[in-house]
Amino acid sequence: MKDFIDEFSGKVQKALQELPVEEIAKAMNILQACYERDGRIYVFGNGGSLAIATHWVSDINKTIFSHNLSEHTRRFQAVRLPSTESEITAWANDVGYDMVFAGPLQNYLQDSDVIIAISSSGNSVNIIKAVELAKKNNVPVIGLSGFDGGKLQSLADAKILVKTDKGEYEVVESAHGTIMHLITKYFKNYFDHLIERRATK
Amino acid sequence: MASFYTRYPGRVLSTAIDKYVYVVVNRTPLIEKISARYSISETVNHPSELQHTRIKAALLDVGITSGLELASFASLPAKTGLGSSSAFSVALVRALGVYQGKKMNKREVAEAASRLEIELLGEPIGKQDQYAAAFGGINTLQFNADHSVDVKPILIGYKTRLGLEDRMLVFFTGLTRDAASVLGEQRSNVDKKFETLKAMSDSVPKAEALLTAGDFEGLGKMLHEGWLMKKTLASNVSNRSIDTLYDTGMAAGAWGGKVLGAGSGGCVMFLAPTEKKAAIREAVARQAKAAGLSEFKEIPIHFVQSGVEVLHNSDYEK
Repeated sequence: MKDFIDEFSGKVQKALQELPVEEIAKAMNILQACYERDGRIYVFGNGGSLAIATHWVSDINKTIFSHNLSEHTRRFQAVRLPSTESEITAWANDVGYDMVFAGPLQNYLQDSDVIIAISSSGNSVNIIKAVELAKKNNVPVIGLSGFDGGKLQSLADAKILVKTDKGEYEVVESAHGTIMHLITKYFKNYFDHLIERRATK
Repeated sequence: MASFYTRYPGRVLSTAIDKYVYVVVNRTPLIEKISARYSISETVNHPSELQHTRIKAALLDVGITSGLELASFASLPAKTGLGSSSAFSVALVRALGVYQGKKMNKREVAEAASRLEIELLGEPIGKQDQYAAAFGGINTLQFNADHSVDVKPILIGYKTRLGLEDRMLVFFTGLTRDAASVLGEQRSNVDKKFETLKAMSDSVPKAEALLTAGDFEGLGKMLHEGWLMKKTLASNVSNRSIDTLYDTGMAAGAWGGKVLGAGSGGCVMFLAPTEKKAAIREAVARQAKAAGLSEFKEIPIHFVQSGVEVLHNSDYEK
């Protein structure tokens, strides 16, 4: 048992030690720009990646402003796609699973938006279709991938690849969760800092 | 400028700021005219009759001849040296692109705006302001001999970004000059001043390293050296009013600074320890008053990541 635990945590630690720092910084700049222009952030993935997306939406929309909710009236507008189960099933049943993200994304997408696509393989067809839609409209793409990065790594503007052996879903998703929390924490500190700074002026 | 970067890579460190230009384009299918509304209002039968040279050139270039109303709004007056005219060109070409249903990425917008100003209007300027306005954020730009431009974002966090803002002072001198008139002489001096220009270009990676490290004092001192070099590029980069304002700020404790823009007017910028800002502000304002600069003002500046964008597009399928 101990060997297994050591081996798994070793892989996660290695993944975290090799985080693509510059690409994560680029992603944070893209999100900063989106905040400035009051754009929206659409975030999506399949299975566990969708759960990471949903968790992050709650953090970035609310938790990061928690210390001073009433003072921060301009907040992030992150939306998990699809935002309703009805849309997932409608698109999957009527059109096909390939369109569950691109379909709903088409309804919303504006010039001022950003998308965050989360896919361990980087090759999920439904993810790539949504990424291609964003690219066609020159909307910035933050891509979180694993393994060798797949198509998502080549298409994304911020290429956040957690490089692992193929099939290491648990390691990749653990690192993706950490990266999304890192982004959350950066902006939480930033908004707290703005309030402190205002108080000292 | 191309006369330099075709011989040696031109480099700048530049940033987008929270001062915006808005361009509104409206279809007027029942009014077969072109209207342009800015500091004045023009309505003409054909774009070739417009007085506004930039709107005229842009409309003629994309082939819009009638049924359009265009208005612009800006946070700053013209000719402050903060790049507002290129920001206008960027917004203009993007707005006309949307009007014509063109999808454009930031690079295409920057290039279209540069082409408008440099090729179509023959202005003796470079491409740095167009790229800064289109891309947003803090970047180093490198202008290559094949006319391509490398845009490299400087990845500093909010602490360094806000730290730089806290140590910066920007004063509008109230003196305005066309960049073209100042840059004309600089362009013809490129041969003579080649080594100085080269040194200025080569200083950019060092400035980038200082900024990334949050060494504001080092950056300020470097700006000072850069300003001394820039002053030698042409007889009209500085003048007595600017020199006096600059010297006053330095004497009051600034680490360094420069004139923003082509020179001969526009804004004077300083980097200074936060505790010296109040004294610099007071001394420079006093000096400006004594020199009779009636339009002198401090401009509060914040850095922004956002660049050109479409705020609203009312076109949809009918």
